[in-house]
Amino acid sequence: MIKIEILGTGCAKCKRLYANAGQAVKDLKITADVIKVGDLDEIVNRGVMLTPALFINGELVAEGRVPCVEEIVALLKE
Amino acid sequence: MAETPTCSCGQNEPKRIIFPCAGQANTGQLTNLAAIQLTEEGYGSIACASLLAIGAEGLVRSAKDVDEVLVLDGCPMICARKIAEAQGVPVGQHLIVTELGITKGSSKNFTNDDIEKIVAACWKGEGRKKDTAKPGKKSGGGNDSGCGCGCGGTC
Repeated sequence: MIKIEILGTGCAKCKRLYANAGQAVKDLKITADVIKVGDLDEIVNRGVMLTPALFINGELVAEGRVPCVEEIVALLKE
Repeated sequence: MAETPTCSCGQNEPKRIIFPCAGQANTGQLTNLAAIQLTEEGYGSIACASLLAIGAEGLVRSAKDVDEVLVLDGCPMICARKIAEAQGVPVGQHLIVTELGITKGSSKNFTNDDIEKIVAACWKGEGRKKDTAKPGKKSGGGNDSGCGCGCGGTC
């Protein structure tokens, strides 16, 4: 199963990214775990300096910005 | 908004300018409120469509230089988009409020859900997915006063 993680402390952008990731999963009709990671220590340990960050299957694919649904769909197809 | 934690986000976000139509109807006013919220959330910077209409050089230049221009129109008259196009400003994303399920009417009442619907659609990039309505295109039903929005002549 695909694992999608949204790293961020819970501000508006993090919430938007979480919503966009959920929408992308819905659009693709796939099953995926969409997880919020809000723990600052873990965020730093993962090497993320700019939030929100998007990880797909453990790989950092976007940092410090909110990719739109279309972009996340494309990233998930890769 | 009050309960939202302070943003500690980085700024890798593309540089955007947001032009709300700011029309007098409820949907036009909603574009303004949505643009303000989008600015607060760090999506881009709100700018004045009226100033763009008079061809203010600095604004036209800025609008052509940014990564993306977002235009929010209240109804299918798409005044703000026409203004942008008249000034040669490329529109990267365009949303029409009446196409998001919000009815245009004489009442100025709105809910926070209405604003959220518009703001969420922008973040999702819904205005990039499809071709937007042609001027005067009917959004479905209602009295038609020629503007195509079903307002019955109040716009």
